[in-house]
Amino acid sequence: MSSEEALRILILVLQLAFVGLLYLLLLLFGRSLLRDLRSAERTQEAARQGIGRLTVLESPEDEPPVGRAIALGPINSIGRNVNSTIFVEDDFASATHAMLTFRGRSWFIEDQGSTNGTYVNGHRIDRPVALSYGDELTIGKVRMRLER
Amino acid sequence: MARTWRGTELRLLLPIVVLVPLGVALVNIVAANKADPGPLGIALVYVVLVIGAHVALVARGHRGDQLLLPLAATIGGVGLVMLYRLPQGLAGMNPFGLQVGMAQTQLAWFALSLTAMVVIAVFFRDDGILRHYKYTWAVVGAALLAITFVFGEEHNGARLWLAIGPVTFQPAEAIKIVLVVFVAGYLAEKRALLAGAYRRIGFLKIPPLPYLLPMLAIFAIVMGIVVISRDLGTALLFFGIFLTMLFVATGRRSYVLIGLVLFVAGSFVSYQLFGHVRVRVDNWLNPFADPTGTGYQTVQALYAFGRGGLFGEGLGQGLPLISGHLPIPAIETDFIFTAIAEELGLVGAFAMLALFAALVFRGLRIAILAHDDFSSLLAVGLTTSLGLQTLIIVAGNAKLIPLTGITFPFVSYGGSSLLASFVAIGLLLSVSHRSAEALGDPP
Repeated sequence: MSSEEALRILILVLQLAFVGLLYLLLLLFGRSLLRDLRSAERTQEAARQGIGRLTVLESPEDEPPVGRAIALGPINSIGRNVNSTIFVEDDFASATHAMLTFRGRSWFIEDQGSTNGTYVNGHRIDRPVALSYGDELTIGKVRMRLER
Repeated sequence: MARTWRGTELRLLLPIVVLVPLGVALVNIVAANKADPGPLGIALVYVVLVIGAHVALVARGHRGDQLLLPLAATIGGVGLVMLYRLPQGLAGMNPFGLQVGMAQTQLAWFALSLTAMVVIAVFFRDDGILRHYKYTWAVVGAALLAITFVFGEEHNGARLWLAIGPVTFQPAEAIKIVLVVFVAGYLAEKRALLAGAYRRIGFLKIPPLPYLLPMLAIFAIVMGIVVISRDLGTALLFFGIFLTMLFVATGRRSYVLIGLVLFVAGSFVSYQLFGHVRVRVDNWLNPFADPTGTGYQTVQALYAFGRGGLFGEGLGQGLPLISGHLPIPAIETDFIFTAIAEELGLVGAFAMLALFAALVFRGLRIAILAHDDFSSLLAVGLTTSLGLQTLIIVAGNAKLIPLTGITFPFVSYGGSSLLASFVAIGLLLSVSHRSAEALGDPP
């Protein structure tokens, strides 16, 4: 075998290795995608049981505790009354402060005549307001974020 | 919190450690025509950069998606090998009289882009800067656009370069990211307020004005890009990104319909009025009408695809010179996919497209798992921008649609494009990091 032939074969082998490696990567990516898809299905199923949750961002009296994610039903009352769906221990909150409801495809918040008002993204509301996931609610000094 | 080692990411990066040096060695062997791997510096620096980005993410306890970096690094790695294989004089810089080749310049851009990606992924843990200042971002984008319209430099008939001192860049790449951020912020804010507020006229549901107005505004901007910058690819890309985000935010087919009607009407009027649009369409319909003039690029690209065939000419062995020049103009930017298709064949070209498909799939998954509307729409917009850009340029190369000059993300030579693509990856990483933190599940 001449050295020129050997070089040609070497080049061919390396070229095959290059494309082969590219396809090995594709295979690995495909496997990771599939594996993640299966685990994502499980997470989704767990997530679908709720229509949303409130994550507590700020809470001076630590009730509800900061960082907690409160699972929401379709109708939630928020206030200092211990029978509220979401009990808020805060001097600036009223007994029945606001109602958070899921109607159709959207969340709505409505103030229940509270003394200090209900705020959405820092703006005081005077009528029922539709919320997006990611909006921030302020009840008294408690700050919470609506999440999916 | 438990430490995340990002094991999947590392495992997927390992083949790249072999792939890129192998490609560079192969190019050297073919060029020298002897069994000597030659200098591998470029490949080794690339590998160090990518692994460095991985280490930085691990060190900061980043819990974002683990497939994005390997996918981008694989696509970018093949691109770097391809740029190294092309004649180095095609592009490049010579700062302080130093002669720096095209691949080396691109490598420097990789260093900057990967750094930007890591910084964004790590420090944008709160999306407030993007979300609350969306109108500021919109003004920044509009200003950039206006500056380009007035002061832009023309290259090949398209006015899309801005020069600041010795550095030139393409503002369209920055505007693309800003557009996605603004539209995501706008739609996330308005979405719930306007749910269901539709008027019915005949069989069509007419969307409320706050949705229609931005649509018309974006359409006007896009037409401005077509007329003033003559940058058809960017115009198509912007409009496509916007329509997709609007559809995802509202789930209404009527927007897609209205958008398509606007698109068809805009295309028709442009074809009638502007010579530069007509040339593109005529070349698409029949490039062989003027094979040495306006149709030259397309005709040569078609020959290249044909030479490549199923398995390609082999890395380093295709792309014959015609009278001392590569026959396809802009092969290092707009037509780099053609170079890949010629040397790696359909097999290699398919692999590249499959990698992009995986990237898009991953981006949309991040959007679904995001916990708020803004992050979700941001992920959709960024993913669409990468995916759609790939589709537009690849289809343009292959004469599936009229050719529009736009870069092949991660692969084309050019700093602005590379930086914008990696900024998009960084933002996607930060979105997925926030969802993982909120979910609190074990890594």
